[in-house]
Amino acid sequence: MSWFPRVLIAAGLACGLLASPNWAIAGGARLNVVFVNPGKTGEVYWDMVSETMKAAGRKLDMNVEVLVAERNFRTMQELGLGVVARADKPDFLILSNEESAAVPVLEAAETAGIKTLFLSNTLIGADAARLGAPREKLKTWLGDITTDLQTAGTRMANALITAARTEKWQSPDGKIHILGIGGDEITPASIARNVGLDLAVGAAQDVVVDRMLFANWTQSEAEVVTANYLSWAARKGIRPAGVWAGNDPMALGAIKAVVAAGLEPGKDLQIVGLNWSEPALREIEAGRLLLSDGGHFLLGGWSMVLLRDYADGCDFGTVSPHVQLKTSAITRDNLSSVSTLIKTRAFDQIDFARFRAKAGACGQYDFSIAALIASMPSSASSE
Amino acid sequence: MQDGATSGTERPVRAATAAPRSVIRSMIWATVPVLLLVQLLASAGIEVSSFVSQMRQLDARVVRAAESRAHLIAEPLWKLRYAQVTAVLGEILHDEAILAAIVYDDTGAVVARVPAQPAALGGAEVSRPINYSNGNITVQAGRIAIAYSYGAIYAETGKALARLFVAGLLATLVTLLALRISANTFIGKPLSVMMSAIQRSKRDGRAYQADISSGNEFGQLAQAFNAMQHTTSDALEQLRHLAWHDPLTGLPNRRSLTERLTILSRTARTPDALIAFCFIDLDDFKGINDTFGHDAGDRFLVHIAGLLRGAVSEDDWVARLGGDEFVVIRPDVADEQAAQAFAACLLEAISEPIRLHDKQVVPRASIGLAVRRADDPELSHLPALADIALYHAKSKAPGTIAVLNEELQRDYRRRRELELAIPSGFAEREFEVWYQSQVDLVTNEVVSLEALIRWRHPDHGIISPAEFLPLIERSGNASRLTNYVLTDACHALKRLAAAGRSEIRIAINLPPSELADQSFADQMQETCARLGVAASSLELEITEGSLINNIASASETLRRLRAMGATIALDDFGTGYSSLAHLRRFPLDKVKIDKAFISDIPDSAEDKAIVGVIASLAGTLDLTLVAEGIERGEQARAMTEMGVRYGQGYFYQRPQPLDAVLELLADEQAVAGGARMLAVSPSLVPELWVPELAE
Repeated sequence: MSWFPRVLIAAGLACGLLASPNWAIAGGARLNVVFVNPGKTGEVYWDMVSETMKAAGRKLDMNVEVLVAERNFRTMQELGLGVVARADKPDFLILSNEESAAVPVLEAAETAGIKTLFLSNTLIGADAARLGAPREKLKTWLGDITTDLQTAGTRMANALITAARTEKWQSPDGKIHILGIGGDEITPASIARNVGLDLAVGAAQDVVVDRMLFANWTQSEAEVVTANYLSWAARKGIRPAGVWAGNDPMALGAIKAVVAAGLEPGKDLQIVGLNWSEPALREIEAGRLLLSDGGHFLLGGWSMVLLRDYADGCDFGTVSPHVQLKTSAITRDNLSSVSTLIKTRAFDQIDFARFRAKAGACGQYDFSIAALIASMPSSASSE
Repeated sequence: MQDGATSGTERPVRAATAAPRSVIRSMIWATVPVLLLVQLLASAGIEVSSFVSQMRQLDARVVRAAESRAHLIAEPLWKLRYAQVTAVLGEILHDEAILAAIVYDDTGAVVARVPAQPAALGGAEVSRPINYSNGNITVQAGRIAIAYSYGAIYAETGKALARLFVAGLLATLVTLLALRISANTFIGKPLSVMMSAIQRSKRDGRAYQADISSGNEFGQLAQAFNAMQHTTSDALEQLRHLAWHDPLTGLPNRRSLTERLTILSRTARTPDALIAFCFIDLDDFKGINDTFGHDAGDRFLVHIAGLLRGAVSEDDWVARLGGDEFVVIRPDVADEQAAQAFAACLLEAISEPIRLHDKQVVPRASIGLAVRRADDPELSHLPALADIALYHAKSKAPGTIAVLNEELQRDYRRRRELELAIPSGFAEREFEVWYQSQVDLVTNEVVSLEALIRWRHPDHGIISPAEFLPLIERSGNASRLTNYVLTDACHALKRLAAAGRSEIRIAINLPPSELADQSFADQMQETCARLGVAASSLELEITEGSLINNIASASETLRRLRAMGATIALDDFGTGYSSLAHLRRFPLDKVKIDKAFISDIPDSAEDKAIVGVIASLAGTLDLTLVAEGIERGEQARAMTEMGVRYGQGYFYQRPQPLDAVLELLADEQAVAGGARMLAVSPSLVPELWVPELAE
């Protein structure tokens, strides 16, 4: 099996050299980027964000330094302020405004004249009102790149509904009954997904969300609430048609509970998740998980693309300082194209330079899964 | 009022017989149970109301708990977080009253249960819906049911009741103690002090004071009591003095005498010390009373008491026994002569004159003197012994001293013996009625017989009336004797009539007591009727003395007797008062001239003059005259010459039993027209007229 990665790398290198745009090579100076990662070492999503960021840096001649806050916001602030105070200041500072903890760093960077970009989490609430839009009060705050999770939520729900309708999994009341499991009720990342679910169900007259339950993003809690739901539904005479889970771990928990209840996921009801996590991809392959939406760990790579373009004079802000990434669903249909990428985290296969804005169309990017798949060496993907 | 007073006096008697119940105990028995009951009822009432309120509070609390749990549980329940539901529900068990709680979901399935093991539940239950609501929906997610128990409240209430009971009991005990102490202090002690004073007073006969100094009602009561005791003390002192002293003279009285004699025997200098006992009786004190009035009589007595007091020495003792009787005791005399001398001194002292109503009166007295040794066992009989001597002095020689000797005592004993023999004398018919005839001095015919009583004693022989009549009178047998004589006289009349001498009447002596007794007339009428004798055949002889003592009742009796046809004769006229007024005032038919005026006739010119006056007076007043004690023919002749028609005496006939008299009468008739001398019975016995017999 050792031959396969080697072939993949070789193919990627070849493609990269061939496909890189002319202006990028010509005008680009090497850029220094520091990313203050709020996550913990080993935390899949944030690790993958860093990895895609580094992979893109390599492609785009950007030196990426990742500082890990290890889920400690005080540490995160100290790290960010440390960077701002450096004598040898980086060109760009990438922050994630989790729990609004990055605001002081943002303001300090403004003072120091360091350009900043918010990744994944941007200003909200009072901070947003106080500091206004990017580049207004804070000139060095270039903008943010976030994920459109609401659309993800809607897409996941619609997939469930479609499957249920196809299988005619209506309950005696003629309605399709589904269970929603959210991560929490307060974080913007969660709220957006939940709203997506609500929008989809609101649009479908024949669908009822019996419960919108919250499982703190964890598999175990999701398993408990799913089990409780199934037993309640059985007593209530409801035929459960699907489980909408806000992330993959919770979807996996739901699968376990469904199995424990003597049902067969994928046959008796459908489950959807989000995150493109490796275990989820295995369940998709096994036919027990309908889909896993996601791909937002690529925000790391995409942020490099934005900053490279900005540094080279093609400002994404001409369209909007707020760049939203549309996620994509991995189903059994497209699983094979990306499963290896995700399993091996061979992000260097991706030709990030291909995603740079075209001349005259600054700020217009196609970060879709189709574009992604297309960016990768066809040999690798076809295999 | 009277009832109250009666019961008031009866109550202490009853209290004395039954066990007395203390007023404090009664108070406590009346108060404390009520107190305890009220306390217990009140506290129980409060506790019960608190119990009800606690139950209501518990109900409300459990409802609140159910509702708050429902609120807290709604979201986890709706969100199917059953562990959280169980955890939230479990907190409810912190409330000890809650036994169990169950959460049902909207399908009715048990979602959570605390405690995990269902236990048998008792008590009350509350059930509330669990409503879940968010911005979009409101649904009933399920139900919560809570079972809870009133056990804690029951237990708490029970404990509280027990505490209250104990507290109430303690409070009652304390109250009891306080009540008892205060009641003892404020009521019991004063009462017992007064009670003790009363009991001591009762025991000693003196009025003791109750020593209470408090100023409350009991203090006032004690003051009033003490004031009353003071008054009582004075009254008792007075009573004691009165009991032992004569109120008039202030001298010790008869009661003191007995005590005095006892003291004398104890305090005598030596056992053979001689005690002189002088029994003094004033002579003719009655006369002084009658003449000068009772006030003067009293003054006279006080005067005598003063004289006696002045005449004796400090060791001597003077008492007034009552009436005109005084006693003087000299506790230590040398011999009988000294005692007599002392008695003579007393007589001398008494004779000091006193002025009564401007008249000088010389008091006279007789003294009975008895002398005995201090250790004489008969010392207590001294008054009686002296009285024997006094009796002798009074009857034989008034105004003198009679010393008790063996002879006097023998006389006394005889008198006593005769007196005791009177009842058997009647029973054995030892009393005999003899008759003496009254004769017409001119014709020498017997006109009437006088019934005279004799006592034929089995040991002493014939006893004269002079000896036993006073005994009869004193022993209260006068009426019986009169009736005895009357009955005999009636039988005699019938025999006279049978002998053809129905014209002869019989005279009986009426003692003073019978004259005063108005029933005698009825009795005589009844006897006459019973025996078929005419009352006109009876003659009743009375004395002036008996008239004077009971003028009113005597007059009435005489009037009735006379109305029945009986003849009334005034006996012994001339020796007593010889009141002419009496002759006029009382309904008399006959006057009997006392033999004292007859015996010296015809020798005594004075007696003849007196009899002559009496005869002329009788003629004027239309009274029949009878001369008593005619013993010689010349006397009979003198009487006839002076106009006295009838006579009676030994010259004609000595008193004899009826048979002898009837025999004489028969002889008289046989020799009618012959000598008028009645044969004299040869067997004469000592009788009434002893001096006559001597002649």
